Amino acid sequence: MTGAATTGRPNEKQQERERTFAEWVTFGVATLVLLGVLGLIIYDWRALPSSPAMLEVQRVGQAERAGEQYLVHFKVSNSGGETVGTVQVVAELRRGGEVITAGEQQIDFLSPGESEEGAFLFKDDPDHAELELRVASYTLP
Amino acid sequence: MHKGTAQVSNQWQRELKDVIRGASGGFLFGIPLLYTMEVWWIGSTASPLRMLIALVATFVTLVLLNRTAGFRRAQGIQLVDAAMDAVEALAIGIICTTVVLILLREVRWESGIGEALGKIIFESIPFSLGVAVANQILSARSDDSQGAGTQAPVGQQPDIGKLNATLADIGATVIGAIFIAFNIAPTDEIPMLAAAVSPPWLLAISLTSLLISYAIVFVAEFADQQSRKQQRGIFQQPLSETIASYLVSLVMALGMLWFFQQLSASDPWHMWLSYTILLGLPATVGGAAGRLAV
Repeated sequence: MTGAATTGRPNEKQQERERTFAEWVTFGVATLVLLGVLGLIIYDWRALPSSPAMLEVQRVGQAERAGEQYLVHFKVSNSGGETVGTVQVVAELRRGGEVITAGEQQIDFLSPGESEEGAFLFKDDPDHAELELRVASYTLP
Repeated sequence: MHKGTAQVSNQWQRELKDVIRGASGGFLFGIPLLYTMEVWWIGSTASPLRMLIALVATFVTLVLLNRTAGFRRAQGIQLVDAAMDAVEALAIGIICTTVVLILLREVRWESGIGEALGKIIFESIPFSLGVAVANQILSARSDDSQGAGTQAPVGQQPDIGKLNATLADIGATVIGAIFIAFNIAPTDEIPMLAAAVSPPWLLAISLTSLLISYAIVFVAEFADQQSRKQQRGIFQQPLSETIASYLVSLVMALGMLWFFQQLSASDPWHMWLSYTILLGLPATVGGAAGRLAV
C-alpha cells in the first residue's frame, strides 16, 4: 500500500498529503511516547497520597573526619503527598542534655517521593555525644 | 524493483531529516529555557492536573502552528495532518528535553516520578513550539539557494577565498554563540548545574553538543544548507567544521563567563572546564544556527 503511494504519483502532493510508511512509523512511536507520558501523569495522580507532606531526616553512614572537623551525612525525604519548599533541617549535638553544637541547612524544594542529601560539620566527635536531626520548618509553595 | 527499494530508503531518509529538522528547531528555541531554573521549579511543584492542562494547551497551539509553519517539507496540510504532526512535535520535544535534563542531572532516579514529569513537560513546551516552527527558522534565504553561485569568482583565487570563507564561518559561529549563550552566561544556572555534574557527564555533554551541532548544520536541511555544501575554506568538511566550530563556541563560552565574572583566575581549573562545557552546549547550538543564517 505504501509502495503504491510513493511510486504511483509522486508529484500530486499539492491536493492531499499521503503519508509514507516511514511517517506512519514516526507517528506510531510519537503516539506511544505521548500516551506513555499521559499514563505516567495519571498514574502519579492516582498514586499520590492526599496527605500533607511527611518529612523525615535520616543519618547516612558513620561520622567521618574531615580535617579538624567531623562530617555527618544526612538524607531528608518527603513521603507525603504535597510539595514543600524551604525545608529547614536542624542538627543538634547534645552532651548531658545540653546542646554543645547546632547546625542548620535549607533545602529549596522537596516534592512527594523526593529525597535530598547533605552534610553537617561538627567540631566535636558526634560518636561521643547525642545527635538529633529533625526538620524544623517548611513553606507551602 | 530497484527503483522501489531506492524509494523506500529515500522515504526513510526524508523522514529522518524531517524529524531531525524538527529537533534542531526545538533546540534553537528551547535551549534558553532548558537553562532556566525557574522552569525546573515550576515543573517540580506542578500538580498532575496542571501538567495535563499544559499538555493540552501546547497541543492546541502546535496544531495551529503546524497549519502554517511545521517541521515537514510537505504541501497541502489538512487539519488531520496538522494534528498528527502536533503529536510528533510534542513527542520530539519530550524525548529531547528528557535527554538534555538527564545530561544536566536535573532529572534523576532520586527525584520521584512527579518531579521528573513536571520538569520534562514544562521544558518540552518551548521545545515543541520550536519544533513546530522549524521550517520558519532560518528560512530567510530559502528562495535564492542558487545564490551560492555568487561565490564562484572567489574560487579563482583559492587561497584568499579559503581564508575569507573560513573567517566568515568563524564570525558567524561567534555571533550565533553570543546570540544564544549571552542570556545564559551571567545567570546562576551554570554554577548550579556544575555542582551536580561529574566528569563522565561532562564528557557526555560535550559529545551531545557535537552531535546537535552536526545535526543542525548538516542533516536538518534548513534553507541555506545547499550553499553550505559549496562553501569553501577549512571548515569545508562536515566533521572538521563541527569540531572546529565547537572549539570556537567553547572559547566564546569561556570569554562570556569571564566577562560576567563567573570565573576568576583563582578558581580551580576543573571549575573552568565544567562551566565552559556546560555553557558550551547552548553556545554550540547558537553557533550552528549562526553559520546557517549569516
